[in-house]
Amino acid sequence: MIVTLAWRNVWRNKLRSSIMVAAMVFGLLGVVLMVGFIQAMTESMIENAIKYQTAHFQVHNPDFLINEELAAWLPGADDMANRLREMEGVGGVAVRQVIDGMVSSAASNRGVRINGVDMAEEVKVTDVAQSIIEGEPLPEEGRNPVMVSKRSGEKLNLRIGSKVVLTFSDVNGEVSGAAFRVSGFFDTPSSGFDEANVFVRRSDLVKYTGLEEAHEVVIRFTDGENLEQHRPTVEGIVGDVGGERGKVRDWGEVQPLLAAMMGSLDISNMITIVIFVLAMGFGIVNVMLMSVFERTREFGVLISVGMTGKKVLGLIVLESLMLGGVGGLLGLVVGMILITITGKLGMPIGAVAEGMGFYGVDTVLYPRVPISTYLIMMAMILLTSLLASLYPARQILKKRPSEALAEKH
Amino acid sequence: MTIQIERLTKIYNPDTDFPITAVGDVTVEIGQGEFVAVMGPSGSGKTTLLNMLGGIDRPTSGRVLIDGEDITALEDKELIGFRRDNIGFIFQDFSLLPVLTAKENVEFVMQLQGRSQRECEARAMELLTEVGLGDRADNVPGKLSGGQQQRVAVARALAPKPRFVLADEPTANLDAATTRGLLDIMQRLNEKEGTTFIFSTHDPRVIGRARRVIVFEDGKITEDRVQGEDRTE
Repeated sequence: MIVTLAWRNVWRNKLRSSIMVAAMVFGLLGVVLMVGFIQAMTESMIENAIKYQTAHFQVHNPDFLINEELAAWLPGADDMANRLREMEGVGGVAVRQVIDGMVSSAASNRGVRINGVDMAEEVKVTDVAQSIIEGEPLPEEGRNPVMVSKRSGEKLNLRIGSKVVLTFSDVNGEVSGAAFRVSGFFDTPSSGFDEANVFVRRSDLVKYTGLEEAHEVVIRFTDGENLEQHRPTVEGIVGDVGGERGKVRDWGEVQPLLAAMMGSLDISNMITIVIFVLAMGFGIVNVMLMSVFERTREFGVLISVGMTGKKVLGLIVLESLMLGGVGGLLGLVVGMILITITGKLGMPIGAVAEGMGFYGVDTVLYPRVPISTYLIMMAMILLTSLLASLYPARQILKKRPSEALAEKH
Repeated sequence: MTIQIERLTKIYNPDTDFPITAVGDVTVEIGQGEFVAVMGPSGSGKTTLLNMLGGIDRPTSGRVLIDGEDITALEDKELIGFRRDNIGFIFQDFSLLPVLTAKENVEFVMQLQGRSQRECEARAMELLTEVGLGDRADNVPGKLSGGQQQRVAVARALAPKPRFVLADEPTANLDAATTRGLLDIMQRLNEKEGTTFIFSTHDPRVIGRARRVIVFEDGKITEDRVQGEDRTE
């Protein structure tokens, strides 16, 4: 009967309870969407960084990590790559010669990182070649092809077949350079990456730098989950071939900012949820205070006819839990439906995409909220509802039955 | 069952410069099956006396003994149990739970006693039929008239089979015909169930039906008479 009584009491003032439930539904909807949006944005940044830039693991000479100079090459990079390709679960291993330099056209010039790659292996590691929007990836034949980004192409006023001059230091420390022709324009989700990188054939770069060796080995696994379990094997092979001069880093170490974002995602989500739940808690306290105080005399009657303090407390707690539970459940269900729809159809971020693109965020996001987050939110809502009922209950239980009965309402 | 009130006193704000004596040094005894009216003007202390008698207020001094058990010495928790099992309450404003039906209101107090649902339902229907509301058992109080609500309150008060019923001005909000009907029911149940009824009132219609009248003025008993027989203190 107490459960029935509590449920009917919640809906005694339908307007007030409905307003509270509606506030919770809209509030939760906002929180769920925000959590889903932030989750999607972070995941998009990480996914794109892995897909177009870092792959899963990279191997460098530790000196290269301190100063990215030509002389800091990785010993045995090609042998290392061959051994790594034999590993189970490896999707691709690319070897790159990397050098900072300048790209100049008739119109302008800019500083870039020149990536000397073997396209046949590169396509297994990153999706840069798949992001070609005009022209083609670096062909195996032909003289000095170069892949530049669409953005750089616009700034340098380039077309397919346009000539650019790449300038860099050679192995003797002398300025070297050569003319390259644009074979294709790539366009990855990260405008920052696009503006800072050009791709040429490694064989061409070797020719002009005079350095046979490479600077980085990039590894991509077919499954990005449980990368840590591959690490010991990767480090074993790198150690065997390169000795002390091969440092293995996963994507998180290559892009520490992204890893930190991923790490703090749960915390930032939790802060958002806690702020909402606290605000909701005050709302429930308010509703419960009104609801309980306007029934002071009724509680006096209940205590007079033999309802114990524990049962009165139970009744008030139950009412609060029911109110919070209904609002929370409705809000989370509606939120879940909306997240499922936007998660399938995608959520265009419109004008914001331009700015967010620098960080590698896609123009369309697919919000996602883990089930565990919904469960945590529901648990927090119920806990807050419970806590919110204690103060009104205490105020009632402090009164003697005769005092409660003397109240007008 | 005997109710003995011994030198019962209630003083509000006792430690201030303006203490108010609501009940002052009252001694009286009420026996099994009595139908007693405590009459007096507003503010005379009737409700305070009934509250202390029902264990919902504590006296400043004095004792209330029910069959020799001093209820003023009971802890709050014990007192709640005592009230639940031994005392029925009827309030001036009916004080039914508006979200429960008439039947549920009557069942509720029995459920607090831990009785089975079947027993609660059977007794609730028996009492509602007794007060003439068997056909309105599923109506919520809002759908009942004032008189009908007070009849449900009478059924609720009697449901836990109390040793006595305290009614605080039960007819104050009722018209003459309804009052007459309610008194008939209370009197009949008093005789049938042997339950003692004590009610505060200043309604002459009620006083006329009481077998014993205790007149209360300024917190003191000024007259205690069995109708037709004078026992003035």
